[in-house]
Amino acid sequence: MINRALLPAGGGENMLHCTDMTVLERQRARIKWQQEQQQQFQLQQQEISYFTELADVFHQAGFHEGGLSEVVTRSVKPDPGLVDNGWNNDHVGGYGVGLPYNNGLGFELNYGAISRTSSCPPEVVAAVAAATVKGSESVVSDKISSGAGRESSKKRKVDKIQNNSKVVAEEDTRDKRIKGCAEQGESKITEKNNNKNSRNNNTNKNNNSNKENSDETSKDNSKVSEVQKPDYIHVRARRGQATDSHSLAERVRREKISERMKYLQDLVPGCDKITGKAGMLDEIINYVQSLQRQVEFLSMKLAAANPRLDFNVDNLFAKEAFPACSINFPTIGMSSDMTNPAYLQFNPAQQQLLACCGLGMGIDPPDMALKRTTSAPVSIPETFLDSSCFTQTHPPPTWDADLQNLYNVAFDQGRQTSFQTQPFTGDVKLSCLFLSALY
Amino acid sequence: MRAPRSVLKQQFLKKWMMGLQVFGSAKQSMSILERKKAIKLSADIALAATRDGRTCWSRAIIADASKDDGGKVLVQHLLSPESERLKKACTGLVMENKRVRCKKILKRSCCIKRVRKGASKVVLAKSISKRIVKRRTQVLKSLVPGGEFMDDISLIEETLDYMVSLRAQVDVMRRSLAKATEVVNGK
Repeated sequence: MINRALLPAGGGENMLHCTDMTVLERQRARIKWQQEQQQQFQLQQQEISYFTELADVFHQAGFHEGGLSEVVTRSVKPDPGLVDNGWNNDHVGGYGVGLPYNNGLGFELNYGAISRTSSCPPEVVAAVAAATVKGSESVVSDKISSGAGRESSKKRKVDKIQNNSKVVAEEDTRDKRIKGCAEQGESKITEKNNNKNSRNNNTNKNNNSNKENSDETSKDNSKVSEVQKPDYIHVRARRGQATDSHSLAERVRREKISERMKYLQDLVPGCDKITGKAGMLDEIINYVQSLQRQVEFLSMKLAAANPRLDFNVDNLFAKEAFPACSINFPTIGMSSDMTNPAYLQFNPAQQQLLACCGLGMGIDPPDMALKRTTSAPVSIPETFLDSSCFTQTHPPPTWDADLQNLYNVAFDQGRQTSFQTQPFTGDVKLSCLFLSALY
Repeated sequence: MRAPRSVLKQQFLKKWMMGLQVFGSAKQSMSILERKKAIKLSADIALAATRDGRTCWSRAIIADASKDDGGKVLVQHLLSPESERLKKACTGLVMENKRVRCKKILKRSCCIKRVRKGASKVVLAKSISKRIVKRRTQVLKSLVPGGEFMDDISLIEETLDYMVSLRAQVDVMRRSLAKATEVVNGK
């Protein structure tokens, strides 16, 4: 049922197996979702929300009994300076990795925004995840992972831990996204958790006991912008713990931090054993420092290897697929019917590449066929990429846009037209050679 | 899953190459250090551009790069096809961050509390660990671009994203270096 609930928002079957989805499918789903976002923008209410579905699940799980702390909070106030209504939709469209979000794309931004508004009541809390999962992980995990797994797995941070069966993580990301999509522009935080609505009738120990539960689901980020209700975070205190707002907020904040630390633990190598914040921070610092040093070192070596920086153009040949073709163009020259020998004359540095091409060609196609999930046509170096490559569905739409942008940036108008009509003979060969290097 | 990671890498590579072309078109020969700086700068900006301004660190990088001329050219080159909004956001970020920083300085100066009266070991240990954590968070803030203006929670998120991007960057650079040396050796 969760699947169905997500279908209209997320483009259904494409989202079921994130691991198998190609970028293309994700792009398709993303575009579909974009369109649906437009539709949702018109709607004010959503009858069945993702959360109500989950609410049923939770009800069944009965997790809310027994004094578990419930964190009912929700959405996020975006930083007015940086985020406007356009952000979320743009996030949908512009997400670099091209993963479709079910909702709340800009949650990182929003979190940053929230944290900056220190005058607000306690910030968005990581909600149900922390509390509920403890209660009924096994029951819920199946249902949630099917739904949340799809979303969370698309979260870019989670692409490292997609196969992670931590329901906490999935829940958290899902909740965060769902929360994050909401835009209020108010100084108060809206409560978005519909599944709590039914259960919020009775006692909340929160001081900010505004019982105003918005009906809109958090997954509908489009209509959030139109709702201006003041919202509060509802937190239920655990048994035997302090109940004043400060300690509650503190606990909420601590839980959030620890959840995010768990993500980091998966990301940073060798952090399985470390449990404390201090140790984790230490490892993180070391890792980031080492990565940054590597970047410095590599750039130094690259500078040493390239006497003239134009060498990078060849690397450019080497490493890119379709996009490479367009970039190669100015160096190759725009003359039509350029054959490989002509290329050789044009740029001596390319000769080596062309020579290597003959050797590499046989090996690469199978490599590319296997590894290349995003651009299938490249696997056939014999068939020259022509202008049809830009019309093929395989390259994600964003790539087309990027290619167009590249054209605009690097070429004159005249070049563009000739470009599109030319077969990319040498380009393909050159680029095909080193494609596997990218994986 | 390979796909999103490689998509990120490809995007990064593409933008990086675009940025390097800016330098390549400059006809004068550059010293090795200049080249290295150019490479690194275009790599960093390309990395930030892949995020489309959704993360704080990417905006901070772009904002910093826009301050001086060379970086500005690159930023224009890499970003202008994509979003004007992003550039505005990045320039706005600088102002915003300054404001935040001033507020924080003010706050910090007001409440400097020295709580040493806790004699019990537990309290002492807690305070020590808190201090350690605080110090390390500050170090982390200095590492992550734009980190000084974030609070703990968003700092960790930004660190996550930054780490992923850094890793992709290192991978791409390493591979391109391998290919470059291969071709050089092949000559």
